[in-house]
Order: sequence, then C-alpha cells, then structure tokens
Amino acid sequence: MPRSLLPLLTLLFLSWPTLLPAGGETVYQTPEAFLEQQFPDGVPEPDVVWLRGEVRETVKDILGHRYPSLRIRYWHKDGRSAWILDEIGKDLPITTGILVNAGRIEALRVLIFRESRGWEVRHEFFTDQFDQARLNEGHKLDRHIDNISGATLSVRAVTKLARLALYLDQWIRDDTQD
Amino acid sequence: MSRQHRRHQRLKLKSLYVWHRYIGLTAALFVLILAVTGLLLNHTERFAFDSRHVHNDWVLDWYGIEAPERYTSYALEGDHITLFGRHLYHNLHELEGEHEGLIGALRVGDLVVVAVDREILLLMGDGELVERLGGSEGVPSGMRRLGLDSDGALVVEGGHAYYQPDADFIRWRHWEGDPDTVTWTQADTLPDKLYEELVEHYRGEVLPVERVLLDLHSGRILGRHGYLVMDIAAVLLIALALSGSLIWLRRRR
Repeated sequence: MPRSLLPLLTLLFLSWPTLLPAGGETVYQTPEAFLEQQFPDGVPEPDVVWLRGEVRETVKDILGHRYPSLRIRYWHKDGRSAWILDEIGKDLPITTGILVNAGRIEALRVLIFRESRGWEVRHEFFTDQFDQARLNEGHKLDRHIDNISGATLSVRAVTKLARLALYLDQWIRDDTQD
Repeated sequence: MSRQHRRHQRLKLKSLYVWHRYIGLTAALFVLILAVTGLLLNHTERFAFDSRHVHNDWVLDWYGIEAPERYTSYALEGDHITLFGRHLYHNLHELEGEHEGLIGALRVGDLVVVAVDREILLLMGDGELVERLGGSEGVPSGMRRLGLDSDGALVVEGGHAYYQPDADFIRWRHWEGDPDTVTWTQADTLPDKLYEELVEHYRGEVLPVERVLLDLHSGRILGRHGYLVMDIAAVLLIALALSGSLIWLRRRR
C-alpha cells in the first residue's frame, strides 16, 4: 500500500463514526415540506378521522396494537389524501408521510427517523417499492415488500403505515360517499 | 521411584486438592451469580428486562433513586395533571413521552387540554390521548399560560399575542379580547395521598431490571469499584480450572 494513502485512510477511519447516522432525531423532510411538495397549488385545510368502533379495531389489526392517539389528521384535495403517521420501529416512532391517490400510494417518504438502526428505510430503493401499491383482501398490500438486512423492524413499521394510510383513505372515501 | 518421593507426590496432590476445594467453595457463589445473571441477560428481549422496572424499595434505596422534591400540578374538578420530574401524569396514569415543563391544564368541554413545552396534548376525560398538537398543527410558539374566556373557550397566551383554536382544535386564530376577562389556570398542590402514590409510581418507573442484572453481572452493584470483586472471582475461576487440570494430570500418572 502506498505510504501516501496512510493519512487519508487514518482520516477516514477517525471520521467513520461521523459518517454513520448517530442516535437521535434525524429530520429528512419536515411534515410541512412534505405537504407543500404533494400539494404544490396550496396545502388544503386539515381534517381529522376519529379512531372509533370499527375503524379503531381495523387500525389495531393492521398495526398489531392501538394507534397512540384517538384521532389522526389528514389533508385531502381532488381525490388525493396525505397522511403523516407514526409507528415505532424498535423503541422510537418513525414519522412517515404518505400520499394516496385513488386508493393507490403515490408517494411515501420517511420524514423523521429517531432510532439508532434501520435508517436505510429512508432510501428511495426501499420507498419506491410502495409506488402504486394498493390494499387487497385482509388489508394487506398487493405486493411483497423486500426486507433490508439489519432494518427489519423499520421495514415492518413503514409497511404497516403504508397499509394504515391506504385503509384510512379508503375509509374516508367510503364515509364521504355515504 | 522411591517410597519417599511417592509420599511427597501424594502430599503435594493432597495439598492441591485442598486448595482446589477451597477455591471452588469461594468461587461457587460468584459462579452462581455470573451464570444466573448471564443466562437472564441472554434473554433480555424475551423477558422484556429492558422495559420492566424494579419496584423493590430496598434495591431502589440502594441505587439512591428518589422522587423529585418539586412538581407542577393543575387540579381539574377532581382530576390532577402533574409533571413529576420529566414524567407527566393524569392522576396516576403516566402519559407517553418526557417533558421539560407543564404550562397549564384545563378542561374544555369533554376534552382535557394540557400545555407542555411546545405542545398541546388533547386528552379524553379518562386520560386517553386524542391528539398531540405541535407547531405544525398551529400551536403558538412561546406558550406562557392557558385560560378560558367568558364563553368558556380556550385562550393561549403565546410569546407575543393571544390565540384561540376552533372547536375541533384544527385552526388557530389571533384572539383580540381583553386578557383580564380570561380565567387563567393556576398551579395547585397535590393531595398528600396522591403525592405519595406518585412518588411510589415514579420510583418504580426509573430502574430497568436489565440495569440491575448488568450491575450484578459486572459487580458494579457494589459501587464504583465493585467490578474488582468480579475480577477476583474471575481469577479464582482461572485458578480453579488450572488446579483441576493439574489434579487430573497427576492422577493419570
């Protein structure tokens, strides 16, 4: 190995911990910026869906536990609805922004990541798998989502949130038609 | 080999036996502690030792865990919202998250409104979280106090102005009324019984079982230099292994 490379390698070795995402909250995109991106003509006024009765039970089935709050805020316009949802990967919530258009996912972004592992779910190679995904029987996605080694819990959490957003979008559309 | 030499060898072996026995007896207690705690630590996730907490007063006292002397509490017609350390309670029910400061709490219709740090928590009467509202949901920055106007609607004093949400807490607007007509919330003292129950609850939520197992395993439960005791135990175990091997080798001869 050429000796001239030694200082460079030493520097790389010393800076390695700073190249890895440290524990703590990392904001990749603020929820406001996500909404502005999805609704470039102006973010609509928010509305809320209350998790009561049947909705509450179905949400519990999808997540495997109760959602931490009794109501969820969403933004909708021209058949498109945007959801900012939280789900715990291992210990801390992952905040995800999901845009649903006519029952299919149009955009999914990991907005805020707080865990020390599993941050790979923010990459497009992962989130692109949800593009145009929709729900089928049993509130499951119509496709298989590939796991990321070492990020299994984060993958599960984001997949659950995708199912949750699709279910809630379906519910508000059915509710509006009624 | 002479008779005398054989006798000398037997005496040496007997002496090694005696040492091996005493070292074994001394190390037995440490072996038990190390083996049991090590076994349990290997299954931390299965038994949720990282999320279960120690409630035993003796252990909590040993660790010097005490409840904070100061707290902030607001009384709401028989219910109490209390910030104890960084833990927020609705009566005895602990709410999720950690908080620096409790700004105020009051009842608006069926909802309990709690202002903490830069957030407003909307709760049902039984303490169940309805929604957590932050800056992106329109909550004014620099909240100072909460109150009810003459119509019984919420008013929040922000850093520079007064604000009021709509009935669903979705949209916020400037409030232009007279602040002197607002009934602002006042912090209150807790009833003695509830205070004592909160102290007990607080202490029981601080020390994870995993911490105690790790400290037992490393010896640090005995204090800063407790690890030296386990170092000695490790040396004893090494001596035990060596003396055992030596005895086996000599008996083979």
